[in-house]
Amino acid sequence: MKLEMFHLCPYRELPEDFREKYHSVWVDVPRHLYDPEVGARLYNETLDELEYAAEMGYDGICVNEHHQNAYGIMPSPNLMAASLARTTKDVAIIVMGNSIALYDPPTRVAEEMAMLDNISGGRLVSGFPVGTSMDSNYCYGANPATFRDKYYEAEELIIKAWTNEEMFSFDGKYTQLRYVNLWPKPLQNPHPPVWVPGGGSIETWGWTAERDYLYAYLSYSGFKRGKQVMDGFWKVIEEKGIEPNPYRAGFLQLVCVADSEQEAEERYAPAVEYFYNKMLHVYPGYADAPGYRTLDTIKAGLLAQTTQFGRSGTNELKWKDILEAGNVVAGTPDQVTEQLEGVIKDLRVGHLMLLNQIGSMDHELAMHNIKKTATEVVPNLRHLWPEYEDHWWPQRAIVRDTSGVKV
Amino acid sequence: MDERQVSVRDGIFEIDVLEAGSGDPLLYLHGIGGLEWGEHLEQLAQSHHVIAPRHPGFGGSTGTDELADLPDLVYYYLDLLDEMQISNAVLVGHSLGGMIAAELAAVQPQRFSRVVLISPFGIWNEAHPGLDIFGSTPDEFASSLYADADSDAALAVAGKPPRAASEASSEAAQNEATIAFMLERAKAMSTAAKYLWPIPNKGLKKRIHRITQPVLILWGEVDGITPPALADDFDALLSDSRIEHVAGAAHMAPSEQPERVAELIGEFIGVQ
Repeated sequence: MKLEMFHLCPYRELPEDFREKYHSVWVDVPRHLYDPEVGARLYNETLDELEYAAEMGYDGICVNEHHQNAYGIMPSPNLMAASLARTTKDVAIIVMGNSIALYDPPTRVAEEMAMLDNISGGRLVSGFPVGTSMDSNYCYGANPATFRDKYYEAEELIIKAWTNEEMFSFDGKYTQLRYVNLWPKPLQNPHPPVWVPGGGSIETWGWTAERDYLYAYLSYSGFKRGKQVMDGFWKVIEEKGIEPNPYRAGFLQLVCVADSEQEAEERYAPAVEYFYNKMLHVYPGYADAPGYRTLDTIKAGLLAQTTQFGRSGTNELKWKDILEAGNVVAGTPDQVTEQLEGVIKDLRVGHLMLLNQIGSMDHELAMHNIKKTATEVVPNLRHLWPEYEDHWWPQRAIVRDTSGVKV
Repeated sequence: MDERQVSVRDGIFEIDVLEAGSGDPLLYLHGIGGLEWGEHLEQLAQSHHVIAPRHPGFGGSTGTDELADLPDLVYYYLDLLDEMQISNAVLVGHSLGGMIAAELAAVQPQRFSRVVLISPFGIWNEAHPGLDIFGSTPDEFASSLYADADSDAALAVAGKPPRAASEASSEAAQNEATIAFMLERAKAMSTAAKYLWPIPNKGLKKRIHRITQPVLILWGEVDGITPPALADDFDALLSDSRIEHVAGAAHMAPSEQPERVAELIGEFIGVQ
């Protein structure tokens, strides 16, 4: 079992009345709410927190890509990864961007990933998200009607650019290049493992399985909703007759660890409530550009249950509701360990990405949560899935001792 | 009214075509809401041979996967016009169909005697952007499309049941109808996105001067999608055009005020 720390790099200082007063946290979040003095501090705190997670014993650290978004101010995860590649020595660096259909030509992504793989010494995971509709269609103007098709073409081009020994020409529908001749090559051979973060679109499951990539379901809804999606994914794996190796799947879970339940609530509730009430305040008109999802996904009725972003309703969510819904796992190290073990087995995932900095959580508390999770929870889960081999791990990233010694 | 399928480019496109009447041809290109045989077409069919094809990607018309952008769509239409041997026709286009009509008239002006553009897309004016049809909630979309947000048509777009839901139809049947409507709309809007995303300006301004025949510009007075101010932009770029605003209509004038729309078109094309 591998456990990775995921960071969204949220803007931690939105006004109290954000939800009532403003239209959306994403796409048209008012620019005047961004204070660059705060931003300058937050980027550095985020890097410090990820480095600390590596130092405290996580297997990997994850960054991702969002645009015009107050809950994720990393338009370029590659810049963060470049810094982390230098300041960490052994952990996997998991870049859950780049939304490959957004970059023209997509060989730019192939180049930057190859550079990161070289700089990190072969510790890179290259995420190929389709990208959310908000980021891709609304912020970056990509046409939703052809977006998925463009994504498949970009993937083909990048893999070819990484692996072809000879220069080649690429005559695609969306990209035409007379000379594709990538310098540098990735350090990992044939290329860094590809992880496909998804939001629950059914068309992504089959494709990911066929390409033998890792599928990671990233949502903030927690394990109860995640179960529906992962069941759908494993059903596709079974139908295709592929080995149900848990390492081909990942899941994101928000986690808060303290010495008692009461302490967890006292210390973490404000930050968690901030996240669910302010940061997921996304205008529903930006949730799903027409054509972004196939009719099959819409028809499957998944839209309402598993692929809808944000949350409906205007009521303020409280700590208790959030825990009951399974959105956040919180408590003592033993309680969290037990719950996460259940999640891992129930969803059958070999990679669990834990969000330890949540919403407005300040640097000091985030560091505390990282330390508690990394030292008192993570080591007690790593022994799981001993019968399977992880084929989706960077070739030169650390594989920690899994002898099963419980601490 | 007769409905038939017309095969274009060796069956790549199988197109629903609704037609009625006799006399000179009148080609009607529908808008983002899809094609319905309304009173406006019924009335125009009294004097003309009305031919109303459904765009690929709408209803039963196939072949949308072959079309990536506006030039692809224009060339498809040239093939359809050849296939149906349409010439010397009155060309009427509404909304998305208005944009296509303007493109076709610019490419082959000799094919059309007169042109009617009803709330067409195709020109962008930053001062009058209108509602983002792809970035809005169903409620906002419905109330910008229709002058009367409580009409059954507007309620359907907003995903709500009609005012007087029939007693006979069960809740399950109504849900099924709503889902079918939503799926068709999802398909239609993703088709429209090919031609209108993210800003409905694909260069028509550079070509529209080639339309030299008389043009009637019709616009719903309270159109919240393509704002009425855009009528002046079209008018300024055309050499022989005039504007008529339609009272009590927003973006869907042909279905909101069908008699008035038919009457104005009739006057323009010389129907007594």
